[in-house]
Amino acid sequence: MSSPTSTFGLLERLRAGDKESFTELFTKYRPRLAVLIHYKLSPETRGRVEVDDILQEVFFAASQDIGNFTYRSPGSFMSWLARIADHVIIDAARSMGRQKRHAAEMLRFRSASNPGGPEPVDSHTPSRIFAEQEGLQRLLDKLDALPPDYRDAILMAKVESLSPAEMAERLGKSREAVAVLLHRAIQRLRQLEDVKEPR
Amino acid sequence: MTALPNEDREKRLAEALAQFLDQQAREEAVDVEAFCRQHADLAPELREEIEALLEVDRLTQACPPAAPAAAAEDLPERLSGHKILGEIGSGGMGRVLLAEDERLGRRVAIKTLNRRYRENPRVRERFMQEARAMAKLSHPHIVHIYNLGEPDEPPHFVMEYLEGAPLTEAARALPLRQKVELVQKVVLAVEFLHRHQILHRDLKPGNILVGPDLEPKLLDFGLALQVDDLGSRMTLAGEVLGTPDYFSPEQTRGNASLDARSDIFSLGIILYEVLTGSLPFRGASFAEQLRSIREEDPVVPRRVNPSLPRDLQNICLKALEKNPADRYATAREMAEDLERYLAGEEVLAVPTSYARLIAGKMEQHLRELDGWKQDQIVSDSEYDALRKAYGRLSEPEDAWIMQLRRLSLAQVSLYFGAWVLVVGAALVFLFRFLGLSGALAVLVVAAAAVPTAYFGVRSWKAGSLRFGVAYLLAFCLLLPIALLVAMGEYGIFSGFTRGREDLELFYKFDSFKKTTNAQLWWSLLLSLPAYYWLRRFTKSTVFSLVFAVMAALFSLATLLRLGMLEWLDKDPGKIYFQMIPIALAFFLIAIALERIGRSGDSRYFYPIAIVFTFTALSGVALFHEPYAKWLERVAPWTRGQIEYLFIINAGIYLALQTLSERFHSPQMRMVAKTFRFVIPGHVMTSLLLLGLEASRLWNDSPLKIALRREARTFEIILPVVACLFVFGSIPKQMKNFFATGLLFLAIGVIRLQQDLFKDRAAWPIFLLIAGVLLMAAATKYPAMRLALTRRFRRKT
Repeated sequence: MSSPTSTFGLLERLRAGDKESFTELFTKYRPRLAVLIHYKLSPETRGRVEVDDILQEVFFAASQDIGNFTYRSPGSFMSWLARIADHVIIDAARSMGRQKRHAAEMLRFRSASNPGGPEPVDSHTPSRIFAEQEGLQRLLDKLDALPPDYRDAILMAKVESLSPAEMAERLGKSREAVAVLLHRAIQRLRQLEDVKEPR
Repeated sequence: MTALPNEDREKRLAEALAQFLDQQAREEAVDVEAFCRQHADLAPELREEIEALLEVDRLTQACPPAAPAAAAEDLPERLSGHKILGEIGSGGMGRVLLAEDERLGRRVAIKTLNRRYRENPRVRERFMQEARAMAKLSHPHIVHIYNLGEPDEPPHFVMEYLEGAPLTEAARALPLRQKVELVQKVVLAVEFLHRHQILHRDLKPGNILVGPDLEPKLLDFGLALQVDDLGSRMTLAGEVLGTPDYFSPEQTRGNASLDARSDIFSLGIILYEVLTGSLPFRGASFAEQLRSIREEDPVVPRRVNPSLPRDLQNICLKALEKNPADRYATAREMAEDLERYLAGEEVLAVPTSYARLIAGKMEQHLRELDGWKQDQIVSDSEYDALRKAYGRLSEPEDAWIMQLRRLSLAQVSLYFGAWVLVVGAALVFLFRFLGLSGALAVLVVAAAAVPTAYFGVRSWKAGSLRFGVAYLLAFCLLLPIALLVAMGEYGIFSGFTRGREDLELFYKFDSFKKTTNAQLWWSLLLSLPAYYWLRRFTKSTVFSLVFAVMAALFSLATLLRLGMLEWLDKDPGKIYFQMIPIALAFFLIAIALERIGRSGDSRYFYPIAIVFTFTALSGVALFHEPYAKWLERVAPWTRGQIEYLFIINAGIYLALQTLSERFHSPQMRMVAKTFRFVIPGHVMTSLLLLGLEASRLWNDSPLKIALRREARTFEIILPVVACLFVFGSIPKQMKNFFATGLLFLAIGVIRLQQDLFKDRAAWPIFLLIAGVLLMAAATKYPAMRLALTRRFRRKT
C-alpha cells in the first residue's frame, strides 16, 4: 500500500527500529526545510545564524522527539518539522539576542503572525546547503524576486507541502481563490525563469 | 488564446493545478502525461506550470523516489583494470567490491561511491580526498590503498583485500591479555592517524578487521576529515546520522568542532565492548541512544564482568568521560596507559565518574557526619580523618601528580637533570672562575634560566604538566641565582650591611665569591613575584611551597641585613628573639590564606611558622640572657636555670595550642596537635634535668637543708607529674602524654630508689602490689564508682 520510501513508510520503518530510515527522512526533507528556515529567519537573524546549524538542531530535536509524533496526513510530518524549526529559531534568536529583541520579530514568513514582515535582504554569504546545491540557490533567487504573497503561496504548497484546501484554511480564503493565487504565482515564477534563462 | 473565456480559462487552469497539487500532497504518483491529456484544452499553459512545479520539487527533494533503485545498481565489469568479482558490503555512501588484479594475481577490494552522490562534485571530491589522505599513510594496522580511480571512471579507489572478522567478534574468544593487546594496537593506529591530522570519526568494530594473525586493520574512513580543513566539511545526512552506537557525546550534538578526543571516546566504547561483551550505552530508539551517550554514566565494567582488573576499568572509563577535557588528551596517552597495564604497572587513569558515582551518596554521608560531630558521636580528629578520606575519594589527584610521585627512569633523570642544572648555576654564583666572569657569567646563567622558563611554560600549556612542572621548579631555583650572578657581576647592591664588611655572610669564607647580604636579599625579594605568578598560572600549589620556602629564606636574609652575624658573636639569643615576629608573620599569612579558602596554599605556611616558633622559643630559652635574668628577678629560687625557661616555653605552647584549637579549621587543629606534641617532652626532660642539678648541688654541700629539700622535691615531683600526664592523656587521647609519662615514671622510680628508698625492700613490693591492684581495678571501675557515690551520698 505505502511504498517504503514514502514519509509514512519511512516513519513506520523508524518505529520498527530501523535507524537507517531516519537518515532517509532527513535526506528527503533537508532541502525543503532549509528553504523554509531561510524564509523563517528574519533578516537580522539571517546574518548571524547559519541555516545549516538550525537545520542540524531541528533534526536532532526531531530525532529525540519522534516518539511523540503521530502521522495524520502526508503533510503532517513537514508541519511538525516546521513547528520544531520555529522553536529552534526562537531559541537561537533568544540566545543571541543581546539587544533583547522580541523573539517573535525574528520570525518572518508566517504571514498570520507577521503580515507586514520586511523584504528579505540578499544574503551575500549563502549557507552551505545552498552553496552545495546550486539549483536551490537559483530557486531562492527567484523566490526572492517574487511579490511576498506569491512567494508565500509557493512556499506553502511546495515547501510546507500543504494541499490547496489546507492553504485555504490557513489563509482564510476559498479554495478557488487559493488555486488562482497559486496559478498566478507559478506563472510569475515561470516568467522569471524565462527572463533569466537566456543570460 | 481566445479573448472571451479568458477569466474562465484562468479559473479552470487554477482548478486543474489545484487538483494536481492535491494529488501531490497525498504523495500519490501522478502521471503527468495522462493528467495533461485529461485537460487537453488547457494544453500549453498547464503543462508549463506543472513542469515549473516539478522543477521546484526536483530542487527541493534531494532524494527523489527513484533513489532506492540506486542500491540495486549493476556491478561494473572492470574498474582500474581490475576484474570485479562481486560485492563485499555496502554502506551509506557507497559499496565495497571484491575484485581481482589479474596481472599480480591478487585479490583487492574496491570502494565505490553511490550513484546518487556521484553527481555532486563536492562529495566526489571529498571521496577522492579521503582516498588520497589514506594513500599517504603507511601503517601496519591501517589498510593500504593501492591506487585511485581515473577521472573518466566512476569514482573509486583500490585497496588491500582483507580477510578477517570485526574486532569484537575476533576478540570474543581471546584471553584478556590478548584482547587488551589488540585494542592497544588499534589505539596506536588511531594515534598515527591523529598525528597526520586525520580524525577517523567513525570508529566501530565493523571498521576494524582482525586477520588470522591477530593483527587489527583500520579501514573505512567514511567520516574521516582533515583536521586542518574544516572549511570543506560536508555534513550530509547519512554521515551525521550513521550508526550512533559508537558516537561521542560531541557527535550526537552534531558538533562541528570535533577533535581527536571524539575518537578517544569511540575507542573507549570499543574497549568497553571488547572487555565486557556489551555496549556501554544502549537505547531502544535512535533518540534514546543519543540521549544515553550524552547523559548516562556507563555501567561500571566490573559490574558486568567482575573478573576485570580495576586498572582496565579505569582506562575504559577515562576514555568514556562525557567532557572531552576529562578524557585522555591524546590517543598516545591512552595507549601508554594500556601499555602500563600490560607491563604490570599502575595505570594513571582516574575516571571522574567514580567521583560522580560516589558524590551522590557522599553528600548525604557528609551531612550525617556533620551531625555526628555536632552530637559528639565522633571526635574532632575522627571527623577530620573521615572528611579527609572522603575528600580524597571525591577529588582524586591529577594523573600528572601521581606520575610525579613515581620514580621512573624518566622521572628520576628529569629531576636529576634539573638538580645538576641548579647546582651548576649555583657554582657560578658561589665561586669566581677565571674564564667565566662579567657579562659571560651572566649570559651563561641566563642561558640556563630563560630556556627552562620558556620550556616550562610551553610544555605546561601543551598539557605535559609533569615536564612543565619540573622545568618551572628548576627555574624557580635558577631565578634568584641568575639575579645574584647579574648583581654580583655588575656590582649592583654591593654596599655592606651597616657599612661593615664583617657583617657580610659571604665575606666570612675566603674561597667564595663576595656576594653581599643586600644582593641576597634583593634577589630573593625580586623572585617572590615570579613564584606568585607561577602559582596563578599553573594553579599548582607546588609553587606555594616554593613561595613559602623562599619567603622563609628571605626572612633569614632580612635578619642578615639587620646584623645577624654580629649577634652571632656577641648575643646569639637576639637572633632567636628576632625570629618571633617572623613566626608570627607566617602564622598570620597562613591563617589569612586559609580564611579566604586557599587551604591548599596555607598548608605550606603553617609548618614554616611552627618551625620558626620552636626554633625561636628554644633559642631564646637557651641563649637569650634577658630572658633568664627576668626569670631570676621574678623568682630568685629558680637561679634563672634554662630548664625553668623550657617549662615556661611548654606553658606558651599550651597556650598556643588552646588558642589554635579555637579556630575551626582542620589545619589549625593540626597546628594545635603539633604544639601539644612537644609539651610533655619539654616538661619531663626539664624536671629530670632540674632534679639532677639539684641533687648535684646537694651532693656538693650535703649539709644545706634547703638544697636537700629541693632535691627531694624534684625526686617526688617527677613521678607525680608523670602519673598526672599518664592519666591526663585520657580526655584528649593524647598518646604522647601517656607514653612520655610512662617512660619518665620509670626514671622517677629509679631516682627514688637511688636516694629515698635505698635498700628498702618494701618499695619494689609496694610497686608490685600497686600494679596488680590497678590492673584488677581496671575491670571493676564502673562498680567501684557506683559504690563510692553511694557511700558519699550516705555520708551527706
